[in-house]
Parts: sequence; C-alpha cells; structure tokens
Amino acid sequence: MRHFGAPGSGDEVSALNAFRVLELSESVSGEYCGKLLSDFGADVIKIERPARGSPTRRLGPFGGNPDAESGERSGLFAYLNTNKSSVTLDISTPAGSATLARLLSCVDAVIDDHAPGWLASVGIDPETFADQHPQLVLCSITAYGQDAPEERRHAEDLNVFHSSGWGYHTPTAPDASKPPLKGAGRFLASYEAGLEAAMCVVAALYGREDSKRGRFIDVSKQEVLASRVDYVLGQLVAGDMDATTKRTVFDLWGPATIFACRDGYVYLWLSERGHWAAMRQLMGNPEWMDSFPERWMELECTPERVAKCRQEFGAFLQTRDREEVSAQAQQLGLPLVPVKNAGDLQSSPQYIYRQFFAEVDHPVLGRAAYPTVPYKLSATPARITAPAPLLGQHTQARLAAMLTEAEGLKEHHS
Amino acid sequence: MSNPARGGPLQGVRVVELTRVWAGPFGGKLLAYLGAEVIRVESLGALDPSRGYGRAKINQAPGFQAVNPQKLSVQIDIKSGQGRALLLGLLGKSDVLLENLRPGAIERLGLGYEAVKAVKPDIVYVSMGMYGNEGPLAYQTGYAPSFVALGGVTFLVGYEGEPPTGMNIRYGDATFGTAAAFAAVVALMHRRRTGAGQFVDVSAVETMSSMIGDAIMDFTLNGTVRVCDGNRHPEMAPHGVYPCRGGDWISIAVSSDQGWKELADLIGEPGLAEHPRFRSHADRKANETELDRLIAAWSARHDARELAAALQKRGVAAAKSQNSIDLTSDQHLWARQFYRAVTDSAGQSRPIVGPGWKMSEGAAITSAAPRLGEHNAYVLGDILGLSAEQQQKLADAGVTR
Repeated sequence: MRHFGAPGSGDEVSALNAFRVLELSESVSGEYCGKLLSDFGADVIKIERPARGSPTRRLGPFGGNPDAESGERSGLFAYLNTNKSSVTLDISTPAGSATLARLLSCVDAVIDDHAPGWLASVGIDPETFADQHPQLVLCSITAYGQDAPEERRHAEDLNVFHSSGWGYHTPTAPDASKPPLKGAGRFLASYEAGLEAAMCVVAALYGREDSKRGRFIDVSKQEVLASRVDYVLGQLVAGDMDATTKRTVFDLWGPATIFACRDGYVYLWLSERGHWAAMRQLMGNPEWMDSFPERWMELECTPERVAKCRQEFGAFLQTRDREEVSAQAQQLGLPLVPVKNAGDLQSSPQYIYRQFFAEVDHPVLGRAAYPTVPYKLSATPARITAPAPLLGQHTQARLAAMLTEAEGLKEHHS
Repeated sequence: MSNPARGGPLQGVRVVELTRVWAGPFGGKLLAYLGAEVIRVESLGALDPSRGYGRAKINQAPGFQAVNPQKLSVQIDIKSGQGRALLLGLLGKSDVLLENLRPGAIERLGLGYEAVKAVKPDIVYVSMGMYGNEGPLAYQTGYAPSFVALGGVTFLVGYEGEPPTGMNIRYGDATFGTAAAFAAVVALMHRRRTGAGQFVDVSAVETMSSMIGDAIMDFTLNGTVRVCDGNRHPEMAPHGVYPCRGGDWISIAVSSDQGWKELADLIGEPGLAEHPRFRSHADRKANETELDRLIAAWSARHDARELAAALQKRGVAAAKSQNSIDLTSDQHLWARQFYRAVTDSAGQSRPIVGPGWKMSEGAAITSAAPRLGEHNAYVLGDILGLSAEQQQKLADAGVTR
C-alpha cells in the first residue's frame, strides 16, 4: 500500500505553513536548515546583502548560461534556497539593523549561522532578545557554539570534522603513512548541523504552541558531529572502551570492506554465519572456504583469514559487474551493495518510486532534477513549489508589507 | 515510577520505540533529549541485539547504554496476543511510534499503520527502513556502511586517484536517526495544529544522499560525477590534514589570500607569501601538491595544538585532528555539558554523550539507559491502569517480565 501521495494529487497541506522564519544565514548550515523548513511550507524570508547577496551564490557547482548574471548561476544556492523569498537589506548599517529589529515582531523564528558575537552586532543579542520578543525562537549554528574559546574562533567544515573525532578515524583501517581524511564532499558538517537545527527549531515552535514562549538554540557543529558517533564515544567517555591515540579506535573487526568490480565498486558486509553461507553459494562453493571454521567471523576472526577472504572474494569480483553481482548476492542473503556515485542515483528504481528527485524550473539554471528529502510524510509531504529566489526578488513585495504588519502587531500589543 | 517533569519543548509527548541497535534508538534519544517521554518496548524473546554486545549481562551492554540514556523500558512479549493488546493499549495513550525493525516485521506482528491507527487515529507513525517502507527495493536490508555506499557518500571519500575508502565504518546510523526524529517533530506539529496524525516513511539511503546534495546538483546541472579527492576543496587552498610531532595531525583550511599570507608568514620562509606559484587561490590550486608537501615538511616539526593556536591567532582556520584521548578530554565539550553525568537505576553516576545543542529552558537529562523492564510498573500501572494483581498475572503468564 502506498501511504504517500503522488504529485498532483491536489493535497496542498503543508506542516509548517503557519510559520514565518527570518533567515540571516550566509553559509551552508543555516541555509540548509532554512530549506528543510521552507520545503515543509514555512514562509522563509532570506535577508541578503544588497548587490552581492549570500556568499553561497558565489560557490559552485555552476550551471546555466555562462553569460548570465554570475550571482544567479550557483547550483549550490539553488539547491539550498528552494521555496524561500529573498529580501535585500543592508543590516550592517544603523538603518538596516533598525529595520531588522522591526521585522522581529512579525516572525516566529530566526536562523543564523555567523560566528559568535555577530548576532549581537546586528542588534539581536542572544542574552537579551527575549525581553523584547518573548515568543521568538532564535537559532544559531556555529562551529563550536556561542561560547567558543579563543583558540577555536576560526573554523571551516574540515576543521570541525577533525575536532569532532570523525576526521582522525577516517577512513577505517587507515594506511598510517597517509593523512586522515575530510569526509564526503565539502559540507557534510554543515548538512548535519542544519538538520539538527531544523529539528530543534520545529521542536521549539511546538513547545511554544502551549507555553507561548520562544527559546534560544545554540547548535555546535562539533557537538552535532561528535554526537553522531555516540555509540562509540559514549563507551569511551564512560570508560567502557579505552581511549588511545590509535586511528582504528572506531573500527570494527572483520572482512567488511570495498571491492573493485569490472565496472566500479561494491561494499561487502559480512558478520554472521548466514552471510558466510550466502557467500559460499554466490561463489559456487569454492574449496578455500572449507579451511575456515563455520563461525570464524564471530569467534576466530584472525587477520590471516580476513586477508584470505578478501583476496579470494576480490578475485571473484574482478570479472563481475557491480549491479548484477549485488542483486545476486542480495537474493542469497549476502549484504553486498554497489558503491553508487552521484550520477547513479537518478536511475535508481527506488529513488524513482519514492520521487526523491523533483523537477525544478529556475529562471537562470533552467529545468533540473533536484535531490529532495529522505522522509515521506503521508499527509504533509515536503514539496518544492518555487525555485530559489533571484537576489532581492521579493524585496518590494515583502519588506514593506512585513513592516506594516509588524507596526500593526506592535500597536495591538501596546 | 514515572519521570518527573523534565521540561523541554517536547514535554508531554509520549513516544513508543520498537527499535534495534543504533539508528532507531538514536532517533528516540533525540526526542527524549528534547523532552519527550520515550518508552522502549522490549522483550527477552526478541531482544535488541545491542543489549547483547560486549557484556554477558543484558543490562550492562556498553553500546546500548551509550545510545539509550533518558528512556524508559517496559518488557512485553509482543508476539503473544495479550502482549500485543498491551502494546496497542499503550499506543492508544501515546503520540509517536518509532520503529526500525526489518522490512515487513512490524506488519507480521500485527502492528502496521492501519492496526495502530485503529486504536490511535492521530498517531504519528514513523517507519525507518534502509530503502524506506515501500517500493521495488524496500525489501533489501543492510548495515550502515551499506546504505552509506548506496547513497553516494562512500564514493566521495578517499585519496586522490585511488579507489574510494569510504567514511569510517560507524558513519550513517545516527544521521538516519536524526532525519527520522526531525520528521517526527514536523508531523507532531501538523497534528498539534490540525488534529491529524500521519505515516512517516524514512529512507536511510536517501538520508545519505542528502548529506552530499551539492555533489548531486553538479551531476544534475552539468553531468559531472565528482570523485574522491583526498582532502582537497575547490574553493580553498591549502585545505588539508598535515602531520605534526608525535604522530599527531592538524587540519588547516585557507579561504582567502590574506589567510595564505598569514600562514606563509608563520612558516617563515622568506618570500613564500609572495611567491608567484602560491600568490593567488588559482596559483595555489595549480601547485597544490607542492604546496601540501611544503606545509607538511614544516608542520611535522611542530606540536599540533601549539600550531593550531598560532594559526588561530592569525585568523587561520586550524584545529588538531582529535584522537579519542583528545576527544574525551576536550574541556570545551565538558564545559558545555556535551559530556555530562547521569544516574543509573542503582544510583551510580555515569558520563554520557549529550545533545549537539544547548537550548534555553531545555529538557533535564538525568537518567542512564534503562534496565530491561525497569519501568514495567509505571507503564502497566500508571499509564495502562492495571492493578498490582493484574500485573502479577501478566508476569506469571510470561507476557511481561
């Protein structure tokens, strides 16, 4: 049975359309947080600096006609800002920050991802904003939290990944002569923190329904990433595992790893007897397996056996194609999967079924299939109904109207 | 005995967990950290395997304890008719069901969405599956490294010009759990405003893809398939992890020409800052291998922490690559109460990993992971209203323990 609606089913309900969010963010974590909310129908107003706009407009990948206005060709910006409105306002000037202060009366939440101290510099002091705006939810995303020590003032995602413990332990089973790695892509730490922040903001808005009180939320990227390894870190901090300088502290034993096929790579997981039996079938009952005890993975997982198993399975895979051999293995109960690249995903029958990609028509970038979100809500699915805004596209339509609304609210309250 | 009021934005929300190992329990943990009352329904006959890893005693399994603080546990044999009825009774008084059993398992237990909806029409029912709950590949199962590979993440991690290595083998479950927790909170909000519950179907593979959205956009817009590139970054150079004294490593990321000038000054080689091979970002990208070699030769003579401090003073983004000793002794993480002590049922104090946020008027986080069935009396008595005699009968019949 299909629980989630097909496109065009006429179901236009959105979970968050009662909320207006002011986005002051200028990098990936805060913009991604805003997108997660706007794709659920929240009215996200992005404040951009005049002329240049958000710095993410200058980051690739770029698409569209190379002659087009350069600030409108960023695929990164287009991805991170679907369904948002763009209002230009120079909040670094006294007049601009005064306008910003007035806008706070007519929004439910503010998202920011500048360094500690920046919010106070534009007149939204995390310590005191609640005096004026007791119902406001203010969310800050920073590398190390609002109280970052002096020696942690400057950080990119690479640094956070490495202060969180993930970096030192990436990859698994490292070659000790090579440096630890940065993780996937450019912005993994930012996406993780943006997701966490979105969860906190909606939770805070939920709590506000009854309490009528807002909250200050201080998301630390370092902590978000470190929390993602709680299964190990919790044991380390409780003394159940020994903390050491080894790069293998997070690792698991066993033969699970990546193998090369004729046309790409596969990932093999192998941890129990059933997997071993399935592998035996897949490989046609080869003789070398007979020298292994049936439960060697659980009980006698020696480095020699791991090496032998990998060598034989690797040789077997060299003449196979990744999709085909993975499908055969899955049928037998062996968790073997193709290592997919970003280009493989659009043709995944599962992604097609779940409509993970949504076609978006952007005035400069044209029509393209955007990746969406990993959850399907049957009654209120996330949707992309508008492309990312052009710089200042909504200034005229939204700014004056919001200020008038804020004025009215102020009179109402006084 | 119930929890005292802990505060937090989700105070008053009750979550029932039918989860195993890591991803599902992690999602439940986040909801508990936000103030929800999270009840694990467990049974000895179909135990969460993580209760059995590492220790003979099921109440002391360290991995389980790491991921399940601040939750309650009730032990019910949900494969029995009476047990199933108890669970449905509990769901009738709950707001969220979170499950990550094997594909189809929850339906076989008679606890699919329709069955639960019959007793609790506005339930927020969150189902987590490697490929989601429905579709041509929904039958497939895998472990975290499997879905990290399927989602496109593994392919992007590795050394330049070499086969991918992938993330550390532990990556994936917690992120998947977070996506589920976020979706649950959104569905709760919808219910708060309209009264309607819904079915939430979360895919682990897609969660992974959402961690590399910009790389997917590059393919979407340009047909470019990005490959692993070591520690490089198209918009920053240098951008890498360099050796230090004593086998340590430091991460350094330079995002501007000024940053490069500061780094070059600290390296102290005459003329380096203005050297034509490194002057601009484009120069540094063009000669990056040489640049990395030069920095590594310099950094190897220094202490990682001192070097990071010196670079920070100059405004350059740098941090020691923290090993597990550094990580567990990180004073900033202790000061922010990311690490904090909680109390277990025997009154013993135990340090745990807290949430990735601080929040005004946040929920109190005070309890260690529950013993199996620790909260039977609260769930069966206080929530379901069963008398002591009725509870005893269920225990005698083996429905609860």
